[in-house]
Amino acid sequence: MPEIRLEHITKRWNKFYAVDDLDLVIEDNAFVTLLGPSGCGKTTTLRMIAGLETPTSGRITIGDKVVFDSALGINVPANKRKVGFLFQNYALWPNMTVYQNIAFGLSNIKEPRKLSKQEIDETVHRVAQVVKITAFMDRYPAELSGGQQQRVAIARTLAPEPSVLFMDEPLSNLDAKLRLEMRYELQRLHVETGSTFVYVTHDQMEAMTLATQICLINNGVLQQYDAPLTVYNKPNNLFAADFVGNPSINFIEGEGKQRPDGGVELTLLGDKRAVFKPVQPLDLPAWFKGRDAREALAADAHKKKAAEKGFVEKGNKDETFRYHIDKVEEDDVSPQEEPALTNEDLVLGVRPEFIDIVEDGALEGEIYGAMPTGMESTIKVRIGNFLLTGVVFGSTLFTIGSKVHIDVSGDSVLLFDRRSGRCIAQGSLEF
Amino acid sequence: MDQSNTLQASRCTILFNKLKTYFSKPHNVILLLMGIVLTFSTVAPIVAIVEDTFKIHPGTIDAHLTGQASGYTTVNYIDLFTSKLAKANLWTPLLNTVWLAVGTCIVAILFGGVFAFLVTRTNLAWRKYLSSIFIFPYIMPQWTLAVVWQNMFNSNTVTGGSNGLLAAMFGIEMPLWWCKGLFPSLVVLGLHYAPFAYILIGGIFRNMDANLEEAATILDTPRWKTMLKITLPMVKPAILSTILLVFGSSMGSYPVPHYLGLTTLSTKYVSMNSKFTGEASILAIIMMVFGVAIMLLNQISLTSRKSYTTVSGKAGQSSKFNLGKVGKYVIALILVIVTFFTSIFPIVSFAFETFLPNPGDYSFLYTGDPSNLTTKWWITDENVSENGMYGQKGILHNETIWRAFRGTMLVSVSCALLAGTIGTLIGYAVAKNRRSKWANYVNSMAFLPYLMPSIAVGVAFFILFSNQYVNLFNTYALLIIAGTVKYIPFASRSSLNSMLQLSGEIEEAAIIQDVPWIKRMTRIIIPIQKSSIISGYLLPFMTCLRELSLFLLLCTQGFILSTTLDYFDEMGLYAFSSGINLILIVTILVCNTLVNKVTGASLDKGIGG
Repeated sequence: MPEIRLEHITKRWNKFYAVDDLDLVIEDNAFVTLLGPSGCGKTTTLRMIAGLETPTSGRITIGDKVVFDSALGINVPANKRKVGFLFQNYALWPNMTVYQNIAFGLSNIKEPRKLSKQEIDETVHRVAQVVKITAFMDRYPAELSGGQQQRVAIARTLAPEPSVLFMDEPLSNLDAKLRLEMRYELQRLHVETGSTFVYVTHDQMEAMTLATQICLINNGVLQQYDAPLTVYNKPNNLFAADFVGNPSINFIEGEGKQRPDGGVELTLLGDKRAVFKPVQPLDLPAWFKGRDAREALAADAHKKKAAEKGFVEKGNKDETFRYHIDKVEEDDVSPQEEPALTNEDLVLGVRPEFIDIVEDGALEGEIYGAMPTGMESTIKVRIGNFLLTGVVFGSTLFTIGSKVHIDVSGDSVLLFDRRSGRCIAQGSLEF
Repeated sequence: MDQSNTLQASRCTILFNKLKTYFSKPHNVILLLMGIVLTFSTVAPIVAIVEDTFKIHPGTIDAHLTGQASGYTTVNYIDLFTSKLAKANLWTPLLNTVWLAVGTCIVAILFGGVFAFLVTRTNLAWRKYLSSIFIFPYIMPQWTLAVVWQNMFNSNTVTGGSNGLLAAMFGIEMPLWWCKGLFPSLVVLGLHYAPFAYILIGGIFRNMDANLEEAATILDTPRWKTMLKITLPMVKPAILSTILLVFGSSMGSYPVPHYLGLTTLSTKYVSMNSKFTGEASILAIIMMVFGVAIMLLNQISLTSRKSYTTVSGKAGQSSKFNLGKVGKYVIALILVIVTFFTSIFPIVSFAFETFLPNPGDYSFLYTGDPSNLTTKWWITDENVSENGMYGQKGILHNETIWRAFRGTMLVSVSCALLAGTIGTLIGYAVAKNRRSKWANYVNSMAFLPYLMPSIAVGVAFFILFSNQYVNLFNTYALLIIAGTVKYIPFASRSSLNSMLQLSGEIEEAAIIQDVPWIKRMTRIIIPIQKSSIISGYLLPFMTCLRELSLFLLLCTQGFILSTTLDYFDEMGLYAFSSGINLILIVTILVCNTLVNKVTGASLDKGIGG
């Protein structure tokens, strides 16, 4: 069974880098989602692995076979890569019935031998049953609803039993209810077929719920490749922390230094003071040193690369993620000069579920907004000019404008470096 | 395979791998092959004709002027541009040609455009009938209308020869400028090409989002201002492409100016070809220069056209101008009468001509006596010299005509199959490789012959394939080659347009499942784009069936129907030429209807696109 390996894969159109030096190993039987905002290069990555797009440079290996290598000039065409592909707009053949759509691919199988008519018929009916479309076998795609078409597309892709299955935002065209239903079906299919699934989506919820591994991409660059809960709890950087999780994580800017006992003293939310206590022992100056060394190394590598022949400067420059601080009165959004950042400029990331409303909470605030859904309420609490989002379970009703006390609980508060955007440590926050 | 292996790989292996990758994609193979073939088939004739202008031809003017029997000289250029005959041989025909082309464009756009507006944007009565009848003049041979014009307006006193219908029936004698020369030529060609304008402009009118005009109405813009500032600019690209298509075609037209007595570059070429061979080739080059210039214009307009394409997206309900209860019938009636003369009358007239005892003898019309009609032109089955038959058998028994008919069918079917297939493949390959420069080159090479005047293309092939090394003159092979090259643009254009509409994922879904290329084409792509691909075959077929300009120089007179027709016409056997016209028109109409019924494809979908 195959493992897919991408090494230094780059795809660019002139100065635009769709995918920039991507290294990725997709293990056998994994369910990997390529996640990122639209236009970040995830579909391009998927199409390159499938052979529908040619990378500018790099190497792709499926199993023990090199299917693409720019240096060697190898490029195994898509039809020889033995993969399944589910297209975003289904790409059903409009001139064929549902049955013919599914059977067409089967009739082309020659290895190990040609399938008999009866075998094809059995396979078609088997996959049709899996996705529950047996009732529409004689209809044309135009006569089916979006959800039905999508299931036909899945059946067509599954029929030849590919050991690797690629899916390009297959659920994006469905309504919310059907989408949820199909998510369960895909999960079940993954277990039943034992195939490797690679799934592109911009919906972080879909990625969280389905995947065994999330591959988070932004601007063509890999941000994090980890299990969903790891990405959620220990994001590599500000972008990852912000992109995953709904409602979004709260970012709180703070300024301060590390104390001898390891805690970091911070001034935040205007004039409040707090101490961040890391879970693991942390040496902040050493961390910054390591960061600078890494940056210098990267700059060196970039210089070396730029000196090579045929190098093209990346037009879509990489920048540190600009996180959003929720405020009552928004800052001027017009582009401003970057303030000079020192090593004392830090950012805290607090997930909404760690904001607790308690009688004796350290911070005093006011309910600014509340969205009860029945099971839980998403609330916005105003502290000075700042807004914090929290989630409270149960059917509590909040009155807008009422005074509350809040606290930040748990030891999963994240500390980020403001300059590089990287995550420094996990810990708890004490006011 | 690890890193060390990579380093060991020799240059050879890398090259081999790269080639293997390149050729594993069928569209690359098609592009490469077609690129080579088309470069030869398009460039070689041009080179041949340029060479011909410098060559000394024994027994012609250049041999006389240089006193040599072979070799190269520039005397042809000097003589053509500077001699006493320069005005008659070059400048007058050139000027006439340009006037003709410009006039034809104007007539075609005005007539076709107004018609398109009436049919698509007003509540005109009988739109469906008018729409289908309006295409007829394009389906029929271009000279049909020229001949009808003659049959209508000629008179013994003004033009000499036999009286036309108007003179014979009512004694009306139209002035000479009306009967011969520039005016009738440009009207006739304009009517012939008006369907182009109708289809192209009508397409935009039809797809135009009514919101654009409604937005103006909401802002209280007067109707005429909306029309002038919003609607017309919208159809500008369509008008431009009509000009591009019509200008070149009308410039190279031979039969219309020939019948109507206008001296243009193409008629001059034919008359100069035997004695002034080299100089005639210069005329052909001048025509080609116009063709290339038009293609460059086309490319410029194509880039600027992009800004308009956003307009014709999703079609809303387009609002229709109200012509009034009476108006919609009055205008429709006028159009019915006009299209009767351009579309139905020619057929009736040709049929009628073949029953006249002598050309121009319309006595039946005012006597009503059936004995003033004859069927001798059809059924005479022996060699008789009396009755004005000049030893020809009647049309039904005439070996020459039916041999020519079979020849025409052979050439047309072969051209249609070849041009249709090649054009479809080119359209497919270009659509698959949109960004590649080579694909653009192949596309332009395939399109260039369309913009070169037919007669010039014919000349080029004549020179290339009819010399001391290869002599294909008067063979079907030569006609088929020339026709294929000339008609590939029809197929490649309609195929490219339809392929661009087809989402790439449709084919990718099949590639992923390892469906072989042939099967992808025959089972998925062709069935989906059936109708435009069929018109890619249909257009070459119909155009070829009635082609004269292109084939005129490539074969003898009895070889195919159109040249046979020309021959009988010069013989003065108008009943025969009318009969052949009738056969051609009926054949085309039958084929068109058959294909339409069998496949559901129709002409309006294919032209120009």
